[in-house]
Amino acid sequence: MQVTRMRGALAVGLALGVALSPLAAMASDNKIALVPGGPHPYFAPWEQAAADAQKDFGIASVEYKVPAEWKLELQTELFESLAAQGYAGFGYFPGDAVGVNSTVAELKANDIPAVALGGCAQDPTDTAFCMATDVYASAYLGTKALIEAMGGKGAVVHLAGLLVDPNTTLRVQAVEKAVAETNGAVTLLQTLGDTDNQEQGDQKINALLAAQKDQIGGMIATGYISSVVAATALKNLGDKKIKLIGIDDDKIVLDGIKDGFVAGTMAQNPYGQGYIGAYAVDLLAEGCTVKADAPFITTPQTAKFIDSGTLLISSANIESYKDDLKKLTGELQASFKDKFLSCS
Amino acid sequence: MRSFFRLQWSGILVGIIAGGIALALSAPAFLSEFNLFVLLRSICVSLLVAYSQMVMLGVGQMNLSVGALGGLVAVVTGGLMDALGVPTLPAIMIGVAAGGAAGFVNGWLTVKTGINGFIVTLATASAFAGINLGITKAVPFYNLPADFVAFGNGRLGLFPLLLIVPLLVTVVLALFFSRAVPGRHMLAVGGNAPAAQLSGVSVPRAIISAHVLSGLLAAVAGILAVAQLGSAQPTIGSDWLVISFAAPIIGGASLAGGAISIVGTLLAVVLIGLIQNAMVLVKVDPYWVQFLLGALILAAVWFNRYRAVRVGES
Amino acid sequence: MDPAPRRTISSFLLRGSAQVGLFLILVVLWAVFANLAPGFLSKFNLNSLLRSVAVDIVVGFAQMVVLATGGMNLSVGAIGVCAVMFSGYLMQVLGLPIPVAIAGTLALGAFLGWLNGFAIVKTGVNSFVVTLASASLFSGGMLILTKAVPLNGLPPEFGAFGKSAVGPAFGSIPAIPSLAVVALAIGLGLYLLFKHSTLGRQILAVGANARAAEMSGIPVDRTIVFVHALSGALAAAAALMLTSRLAAAMPAVAGDDWLLPSFLAPVIGGTALSGGIVSVVGTILGALLVSTIRSGLLVLEIGNFWLPLFLGAFLLAAILIERGRAAYVAREQARRAL
Repeated sequence: MQVTRMRGALAVGLALGVALSPLAAMASDNKIALVPGGPHPYFAPWEQAAADAQKDFGIASVEYKVPAEWKLELQTELFESLAAQGYAGFGYFPGDAVGVNSTVAELKANDIPAVALGGCAQDPTDTAFCMATDVYASAYLGTKALIEAMGGKGAVVHLAGLLVDPNTTLRVQAVEKAVAETNGAVTLLQTLGDTDNQEQGDQKINALLAAQKDQIGGMIATGYISSVVAATALKNLGDKKIKLIGIDDDKIVLDGIKDGFVAGTMAQNPYGQGYIGAYAVDLLAEGCTVKADAPFITTPQTAKFIDSGTLLISSANIESYKDDLKKLTGELQASFKDKFLSCS
Repeated sequence: MRSFFRLQWSGILVGIIAGGIALALSAPAFLSEFNLFVLLRSICVSLLVAYSQMVMLGVGQMNLSVGALGGLVAVVTGGLMDALGVPTLPAIMIGVAAGGAAGFVNGWLTVKTGINGFIVTLATASAFAGINLGITKAVPFYNLPADFVAFGNGRLGLFPLLLIVPLLVTVVLALFFSRAVPGRHMLAVGGNAPAAQLSGVSVPRAIISAHVLSGLLAAVAGILAVAQLGSAQPTIGSDWLVISFAAPIIGGASLAGGAISIVGTLLAVVLIGLIQNAMVLVKVDPYWVQFLLGALILAAVWFNRYRAVRVGES
Repeated sequence: MDPAPRRTISSFLLRGSAQVGLFLILVVLWAVFANLAPGFLSKFNLNSLLRSVAVDIVVGFAQMVVLATGGMNLSVGAIGVCAVMFSGYLMQVLGLPIPVAIAGTLALGAFLGWLNGFAIVKTGVNSFVVTLASASLFSGGMLILTKAVPLNGLPPEFGAFGKSAVGPAFGSIPAIPSLAVVALAIGLGLYLLFKHSTLGRQILAVGANARAAEMSGIPVDRTIVFVHALSGALAAAAALMLTSRLAAAMPAVAGDDWLLPSFLAPVIGGTALSGGIVSVVGTILGALLVSTIRSGLLVLEIGNFWLPLFLGAFLLAAILIERGRAAYVAREQARRAL
C-alpha cells in the first residue's frame, strides 16, 4: 500500500516536473536523494524541502531517503544501493564525519557528486562542499549568548552529545574557549557527556540538577535531544533562575522559550539546507563545477564551508524567526550559482 | 549474619549500602530529597524492562524485542493521545493490549514454527522498529494530556508517583511466580522442559504466556517512559537491551532458565541506577564514565561471587 | 550415508543440511532481486554488498567460536573499536609498517579476549556478565586514551586494499573484493580447526557438556581461555577489515553496532546458542542472507521509513521456508524408512 502511494506521489511529481519543464529554466532529468545520518526529527523539514526543490527547479525527482538506523554501515549501504539504481547526486548529513569519506570517494569516482548538508565531512574529503551551521561557531556563539543572559558571571554546565562523535570534541573546545574569554568571571562547572539520548539524558540532567542546582547559573546544551531534555527538566523543576541556551527548534524548546524556562536556542536552517542542497546537487550533476575561488569559509572541519545561517531564537523573535530563516534561504539561493559554481 | 550472606542477592545489597554511605559522605547532595527523587524516578522504567526480560529468562528463552516493543507501544499510545485525541485511560489500555498482542505474536511464532526464540524476537524487533518509524517518521508526539504528563513528574516527598507502577508490578510478579500455577509452570519449563512436559505441563502454553507477560511488561515500561519524558519519542527503548539482561543476570537469574530472583533483579537495577547517579554527583570526567561503570559492575559481581564461594554455594 | 547415493538434483535439494536450505533461499532471493531491480546486480551494488558482508562474516565468526563452548562474548564490538583505534595509532602516529601494525592489532585483540577468558575462568562468573562489564571497560578505556579523536591519515595502501579486488572482471560481473577473500580464508582456517583438529573437537566437547569433557581429560579452563583469545583476535581482524574499508580509524564504529549482527549470522546458520554445534559455512550464509535481504529492499526502494518492518518479515519468512523444507525432509525420510 505504502509502495503504491509512493508511486502515486512519484507519478504526480513526475507529471508536475514534465508540465513545468518548458517553463523552468534548469529542468533536468536527474534523480537526487537527500540522505540524513539516520532517523532524527531535525531532518523532518527535508521532506518538504525535497518536494519544493523538485517543483521549483524542475528536477526529475528529489527524494528524502532515511537510513533505518543511525549507523555508518546503513548509510553507506543506502548510498550504494541508490547509486546502483541510477541516482545522480546526493545531499547528505554525515552520520560519521570521517567514516563517510570512503563512500563519497567511490561515488565521485563514478561521477556522482555529493554535498554535505547540516553537518560537515572532515577534510580531506571528496564532498563538493559543506553547507551547514559551523559546529564550533554555533557552540561558541551559544555560550556567548548564555554568558550574556547570565549577566557575565556565574557557573555554567555543558550538556554535550555523544562522546564518540568527533563533533562533540569540537563543541567541548568551543564552550571552553568562550568561558576562558571571560577571564574567570564565568567558570565551567561540569561537562556532561552522552546526553543526546532521551532516557539517558533525562536521568543525567536531572541528577545534575539535583546535585548542584544552586551553584549552576546557566546551561548550554549542544545536542538536539540534550536541549529538549534540559528544557523539560527545568520546566518540571519550575526553575527560571538557571539560564538555558539550547540548539535547534524542537517544539518543547520553543514552548520553553515562550514560558520563560529557556533563554534561547541556536536555530539552524534544515529546510534551507535541504532546499538549496538539492538545487546545488542538481547543478553539479549537470556538469557544473565548484569555483576554485569561491568565497568558502574555513572551519576546523573543512576548507569548503558555506554558512547556511544560524540565529539565536529568543522571546524577542520567536514568532518571526521562521520568516527570517526563509528570507535567508531565498537570498542564499538567489546568488548561489554565481558565487560558488561555474557552469558551462 | 551467616544466613543473611546465604541469600543470593546479599552481596548486591551490601554493595548498594556501602556505595550509598560512601556517596553520602563525599557528595552531600546525594541525600537531598530531590536527588533521591531523581534516583528513584530513573529506575522505574529500567525495573520494568528488567522484569520483562527476567520473565523470558525464567522460561528459558530470550526476548530481543523488548526495546522495540516498548518503543512501539510508547509511540502507539502517544499517537492515540496526540493525533487521534483518545483520552488517557483508553489510550493506555490499548497500548498495553498492543504490547500483549505483540508478545503473543513472538510466542506464537516461536512455538508454532519451532524457530529459536532468539531469532524470532530479533526479526520481530526489526519489524516493530519499522512500524514505529513508519508511524512517526522519527518525529515525536508532543501533545499529551496534562494529567498524564503530570503523573510522570509528580512526587510525594521523595517518592515519584511513577514508582507506584513498578512497585505494584513487583508485588504481582512475586505472587505470580510463587503462588500462581501458570507462574510455577513457566519456571518448571525453564528448568527442564522435557520433565515439565512429562509431569503434565503444557510447554507451548507456558512459553506463549511468558512472551505475552514479557510484552505486557515492556509495554508498561514504554508507557511509563512516555509519561516520564513528557513526549512520545520514537527512540524510547533503543538502549534497553543491555540493561534488560544485565539486571536479572547480575541479580541471580540463570541464562539457562528456570531460576530467577525478583528481589535480586530489583537490587541490581538500584545498584546500576546508583552508580550512574554517582557518576554525575561526583563530577566524573565524561570520558571516564563508561570505564568506571564497567569496573564497578565487575567489582560488584565479583564481590557477590566471592561471597557465594565463601558460604559454600554451589 | 547410503552406500550408493543416487545423486539426482531433487534428492540433493531435499536431503542436505540447513546450510543447503539457506543456500537455495539465497539463490532464489538473488534471482528475484536481480529480476525486479536491474541495479541489484550492478558492479557498484555487488561490490558494496560483498565488502560489507565480509566484515559481518568475520564478526559472526568472533561470536561463533565462543558460542561453540556455550559461552557468549558481548565485548566483540568493544574489542573491535579498541582494535580500530589501535591499528590507526600504530600506522599513523607511530608510523609502523603495515604488516607490523596488523600483527600488533591482532595481538591486542587476542590479549583483550584473553583477559575476558582469564576473568571468566578465575572468578567463575559467567561469560555473559564478565564480557558485558569488560565491553564497558574496553570502550571506556578507548575513550579515555583517544578522547574520541579520529585518525584519518592512514597509509594510502591500507585504504586501497579495502577497495581492491582479486581476479578478472567479466563485463558487469565484478572481480571478488579482497576483503571477501580475507573473510573466506579466515573461514577456511576455522573450518579446518573445527573439522580436522583435536583442539577444535575439544572446544565442541566443552560446549556440548563441560563436565563430561572435564572427566575425559580435556583441559576445560584452558579451552575457554583459548576461545576467548581467538574471539578477540577475530574481532580485531574484522576491525582491521573495517578500517581498511573506511580508510580511517574512528571511535564511532563497531561497538554496540556489532552486538546483534554477531549473533544473527551464526545462529541463523545453525550454530547452537547452548554450545557444542558450530557451522562455519552456515555463518557465512547467514551473514549473506541478512545483507542480501537488506540490499535487495534498498535497491527496490521499498518502504523508506518502513524498511525495518519488511526486513524483519523477509527474514522470518526465509527462516520459515528453511524450517518447512527441513520438516518435509524429515517426514520423507521417515516415510522411506517405513
